[in-house]
Amino acid sequence: MKITKKIVNKIEGEASLKIYGDKKVDFVEIEFWQYRGIENYLINRPIMDALVINPRICGICGHSHLFATVKAIENAVNAKISKKAKILRDITVGLEIVENHIKWFYITLFPTQIKDKKYIFKANKFATLISKAIALIAGQYPHNSYMIPGGVTCDPTNLEIIKLKDLLQKIYEKYQEEIIDLNMNSNDLRVFFENLPRDIGKSVNRFLVLGNNLFFKKNGDVSLVKEEKNTSLSKNVLYNNLFVEVGPLARNIENQNIKKIYDKYKDSIYTRIIARIYEGLLILKYLIKKVKEIDICEPSYIKPEIYDGTGISAIEAPRGSLVHEIKIKNEKIANYNIIVPTQFNLSSSQDKNNLSAAQTAMIGEKKEYLDTIFKCFDICAVCVSH
Amino acid sequence: MNEATIAKIKERLASLRKLPGIGEKSVAQVLEEHGFTRRDFLKWSAAMAVMLGLPTKFSPLIAEAAEVSDRLPVVWLHLAECTGCSESLIRNDSPTIDNIIFNFINLQYHDTIMAAAGWQAEENYEEALEKFAGRFVLCVEGGVPTKDGGEFLTIGPNAETGLEKLKRTAAKAAAVISVGTCSSFGGIQAAAPNPTGVKGVYQVINKPVINVPGCPPSAKNIVGTILYVILFGALPAVDNFNRPKFAYGLRIHDLCERRGHFDAGEFVEQFGDNGAENGFCLYKVGCKGPYTFNNCSRERFNQHTSWPVQAGHGCIGCSEPDFWDSMAPYEEPLANHKFASASVDATADKVGATILTVAGVAIVAHAALSAIKNPKE
Ligand code: SF4
Ligand code: SF4
Repeated sequence: MKITKKIVNKIEGEASLKIYGDKKVDFVEIEFWQYRGIENYLINRPIMDALVINPRICGICGHSHLFATVKAIENAVNAKISKKAKILRDITVGLEIVENHIKWFYITLFPTQIKDKKYIFKANKFATLISKAIALIAGQYPHNSYMIPGGVTCDPTNLEIIKLKDLLQKIYEKYQEEIIDLNMNSNDLRVFFENLPRDIGKSVNRFLVLGNNLFFKKNGDVSLVKEEKNTSLSKNVLYNNLFVEVGPLARNIENQNIKKIYDKYKDSIYTRIIARIYEGLLILKYLIKKVKEIDICEPSYIKPEIYDGTGISAIEAPRGSLVHEIKIKNEKIANYNIIVPTQFNLSSSQDKNNLSAAQTAMIGEKKEYLDTIFKCFDICAVCVSH
Repeated sequence: MNEATIAKIKERLASLRKLPGIGEKSVAQVLEEHGFTRRDFLKWSAAMAVMLGLPTKFSPLIAEAAEVSDRLPVVWLHLAECTGCSESLIRNDSPTIDNIIFNFINLQYHDTIMAAAGWQAEENYEEALEKFAGRFVLCVEGGVPTKDGGEFLTIGPNAETGLEKLKRTAAKAAAVISVGTCSSFGGIQAAAPNPTGVKGVYQVINKPVINVPGCPPSAKNIVGTILYVILFGALPAVDNFNRPKFAYGLRIHDLCERRGHFDAGEFVEQFGDNGAENGFCLYKVGCKGPYTFNNCSRERFNQHTSWPVQAGHGCIGCSEPDFWDSMAPYEEPLANHKFASASVDATADKVGATILTVAGVAIVAHAALSAIKNPKE
């Protein structure tokens, strides 16, 4: 049997695929060859240092890592936060998701079918606007530490909230005009699928949502998540001993519009892709509603009492469920563990009866579609190499 | 800078003009298409001159140089990093002139924003190294893992280590720019205990490297430095950590909007208190602005929208070498932990000691960075 090796870049880092088979993929192994070791240098530091270090796990979804860190600490010490702080956090994490989806669609996925720089510019234009909105609250994007256990450090004024509302509305309108509208019409999606079958890339058909931020509802229990070593520098992640799919399709499958498409195409690339770009719009709509509920007179921060303990948090990040676990001893970090969404979707299993979501989606398909199928999971090699 | 320098730059620009550009259109045409007039463009060059710390008589030269910026190839290499620097960069104002110019430079290879992928991208890379040997500008994002021969980071079909790839690319580059704290000084990967032996680029190659640290550095500092190198074919004036003085000449503290409160002894004592609501100084909740050389307080981030101190969190010192260890813990004042003796100095060239007078008590911030060696030593 022919075995080829393919390097996949433009995925925020790099992965290699070991492909078995000739014209069609008979089997595939997914390998990541980077390692940074963030969990190691958290140990023995004051717990608050994790707030500054962890966003750097990933410059693309640093807010999600900050959010997961803060919640892990809060869970460990039973902290309370105000509604205002909760909404502000939702806004920045939500906007980060929207922004990631846009960049993934136009910068990562588009070039697998259509080579035209104008789409890259389009994504950058949206990214710029969105990060401006995030910066209004968080001070800077990417990388900041404005969320702290007990709340947030910022105290936005009325004027800033008005600016934020304006920006959100503008982004929402542009999103509908230029990307996809509420009825799921999208010119760019049509262009993308012109020469591509919609029903390829069907996967494990098991969906997991562990976080309950924004409007997402969790459907699983984090204690059933297990990590195991694979043949490269990354780790496999199983849920209840099975591989699952996490991400936008998993968390929006109950949405009426998505459900209709799922009924027709099952968990194919088409459903997966449309779920992701449509989710961006749903998040913006949700945030526009939420921002109206901000009461600037509420406290931004309620000081928690820090004591020893263990805290585990799961949130929904752009690519899916993200898990952080902290063990606190004498106000220092005794242990820290991070499980990222890409690990769930991109595990590399040797057991042909239990393969990961990305492996399942690629096996049996023509090799020419491999790049698109692989990237439709929105892979982040930076995350995996934490 | 004198007449001779100007003459030299003119000569260089004239020779660049003779090289072929990348697109069918000229920079001037592209700007016009985006609705910028000649006047806007000249205004931009004047502002750029100010940002780069050049006398205003340089602004026509900057305009001229921007017009030929598509002649010089740039190669962007990703090593051990989080991609935050690229993220910061692509968030340039859009469309502004900086943005258009950056999109117009001859970016031969950039993993995230190029159109090519897979083998084709690898081929482009090798081709660029050959074709533009001795002429291209190399930008590196990310630190260099060196432990066990660098095997914690391998790139491409032949599993070449990042260290090898960097060395062979740098050998052919005309200039090397380290973008971000990771490539400048190792960054987060190099924090104790530095499990993969990460180093800064300047520590592993034998060439002058210009450091543009920050975690992430602002788009302005990245574009400014790249432009400077493209424009003048020379490195801008630097401090003793090889940072361009135009961006890293002053401390965050020097131009901070909360500085008045610092001088008045008005501090946030803990997050969420009255002081926090009133925008008091963040020194006591860990601000490292007094020890950090960078222009965030002046240039801010995301189209001048804000910066961390404005959102109530102290500066963490991200543009200083080893800050992951030397500036921690991040939410507590440094003076509480490390400083003992007094001495006074505060220029970028002698990143040494600073006296902070806080409500009548002298917090002696001696040698915030004394643990850090001058790269040139
Ligand atoms: S300097 Fe910061 S933003 Fe840049 S690569 Fe390093 S961690 Fe990421
Ligand atoms: S200590 Fe920090 S917050 Fe206070 S004035 Fe200086 S830079 Fe600004």
